[in-house]
Amino acid sequence: MNEKFRVKSLELKVFIFFFCFSFLTFNFQLSTCEAKIYIDITSPAIKKLPIAVQELSGTEGKQLADIIREDLEFTGFFLSIDKAAYLEKSAEAFNPKNWTVIGAEAVIKGTVRGEQNLTAVVSLYDTSEGREVLKREYKGTKASLRHLGHTIAGDIYQHITGEKGIFGTKVAFVAEDEGKKGLYMMSWDGTDIKRLGIKGNFVLRPHWSQDGKRIVYSSERGGQWGIYLLDFTKMTEKKVFASRGLNITGNFSPDGDEIMFSSSQDETYGLYNFRISDSKLTRITSARWIEISPAVSPDGKLVAFVSDRGGTPQIYIMSRNGHDTRRVTFEGSYNTSPSWSPDGKKIVFVGRVSGKHQIFIISPDSASLTQLTDKGNNEDPSFSPDGRFIIFSSDRNEGNGIYIMRANGEAQKKITPPWLRAFGPRWSPN
Amino acid sequence: MKKFLLLFLSFVLVFVFAGCAKKAVTAPVEQEAPKETAQKAAPVEQKAEAPVMAKAEPKKVETVPVKEVTEAKTSMFGNILFDFDKYTIREDAKPTLKSVADWMMKNKDAKMILEGHCDDRGTNEYNLALGEKRAKSARDYLVSSGVAKSKLDTISLGEEKPLCKEQTDDCWQKNRRVQFISGKAGK
Repeated sequence: MNEKFRVKSLELKVFIFFFCFSFLTFNFQLSTCEAKIYIDITSPAIKKLPIAVQELSGTEGKQLADIIREDLEFTGFFLSIDKAAYLEKSAEAFNPKNWTVIGAEAVIKGTVRGEQNLTAVVSLYDTSEGREVLKREYKGTKASLRHLGHTIAGDIYQHITGEKGIFGTKVAFVAEDEGKKGLYMMSWDGTDIKRLGIKGNFVLRPHWSQDGKRIVYSSERGGQWGIYLLDFTKMTEKKVFASRGLNITGNFSPDGDEIMFSSSQDETYGLYNFRISDSKLTRITSARWIEISPAVSPDGKLVAFVSDRGGTPQIYIMSRNGHDTRRVTFEGSYNTSPSWSPDGKKIVFVGRVSGKHQIFIISPDSASLTQLTDKGNNEDPSFSPDGRFIIFSSDRNEGNGIYIMRANGEAQKKITPPWLRAFGPRWSPN
Repeated sequence: MKKFLLLFLSFVLVFVFAGCAKKAVTAPVEQEAPKETAQKAAPVEQKAEAPVMAKAEPKKVETVPVKEVTEAKTSMFGNILFDFDKYTIREDAKPTLKSVADWMMKNKDAKMILEGHCDDRGTNEYNLALGEKRAKSARDYLVSSGVAKSKLDTISLGEEKPLCKEQTDDCWQKNRRVQFISGKAGK
């Protein structure tokens, strides 16, 4: 059971470097101001904030500004003002009159110094108050320019909205390589794709622990479906559970010490709870029908899962100890793959409409069912850590790829390259 | 001795059939392969990742026939088929199940792995559960025909190993199956 082995792979070493590097891109806060929320993104009707992202002066200044602008625009909370309208040049000092006249409420200006090792100083200006509200210095490299851009965009986003944002997050996913399915990692924008060197012919979508240090996944090895845990801090993989029949893992409990999974090891299907610290296995349900895809709620109290007890696969909710089971989905004859929003107020899932799989959102009390996709087949949806976006896989353009969209279904875009067949994405929690 | 001869003969037969299946499978694949590369060649040029694509593309095409040959070689009995989204044993599956049961009763040393599969119109995890249920339905039928449960094992591969990839009723039906893979006792 506790068989451990080191995962040896060049890609992994590269990945460790990437992982460590994220801590090296440090930043200094040069001046602090009292916190003021410019956009209340919790309000139902959001007015987009008109922002001007000016080309930073110096090397890579244009590229950096482009990354920052794209990041902010993608959130849907900003209206980027066309560069052609700018009256002020990059090198000129900030003058609020140049910006209020073209409708900008916030302006980003800055400089970049260096060739390979870059130092960027970026300022955020409030045009109505006519002053600088944020100024920070960043260090990074030309090779990791996108990472630097995401870090800057993240700080600006946080200052304006009061929320952390997703610009520093990663995505773990499954992709097909030489006929075998393997686990991969990438940045949330589809760049920095790395393959993790794990074994097995088939692997299913991974799930992150809340601290972002581990992932758990199911893999078929030697004719058995097993559940495996990968620890990023040590780069070790450990078998959690394997047996005859089908064993498919759900997600971690919020404290990261427990894993819910589905197993058919002893003839009937059942949902199980596995406690990692003392390897304690507890059977929660036992069924003659299919019970699969358990998803523990963010507060750790409920489990959403799929059961065909009523004749067709539908989504149900029960308490962690298996009581108070109730059905959530009633529309359609095929609803699977539930995943909770970080605040526990929504469940995103896959429903079949006219033979095609679409992504839906529903509240746990079955109210407010909303369909978010309508092109091709769409699978494996889950929320971003801030709950503002949904990541999923789709076959809408030839070949399976990974897509992201806003949680209301807007701005759907493919993030994986066309040559990679990719599935089962899961957003990192931080 | 007679038993050994019979076993040997049946092995020879299996390989002969495997040989036939191989030929039948490779022909359409080879026709399709260049089509796929030609189709995908166009978008390559627009992308910056062109060199990576050029490397990855031929690999992907080659892997298809490899998979299918290994499957054909191990199948001694025909596959049994299932209805869409269902895991109940159909009437047309019963003759095959009967011949599997008869063979198992005659060959006491034999073990059988029942491999459950689905078409690709379900979601991944649910399809794996469905494939598992199909394999278990077939196993339960064999057990009720007198085969010892300990000689039967099940595994589900969901939609991961399709026999064909066309989006047609015929192809979907072919993929909704249980395959019988024989192995020696003790394995």
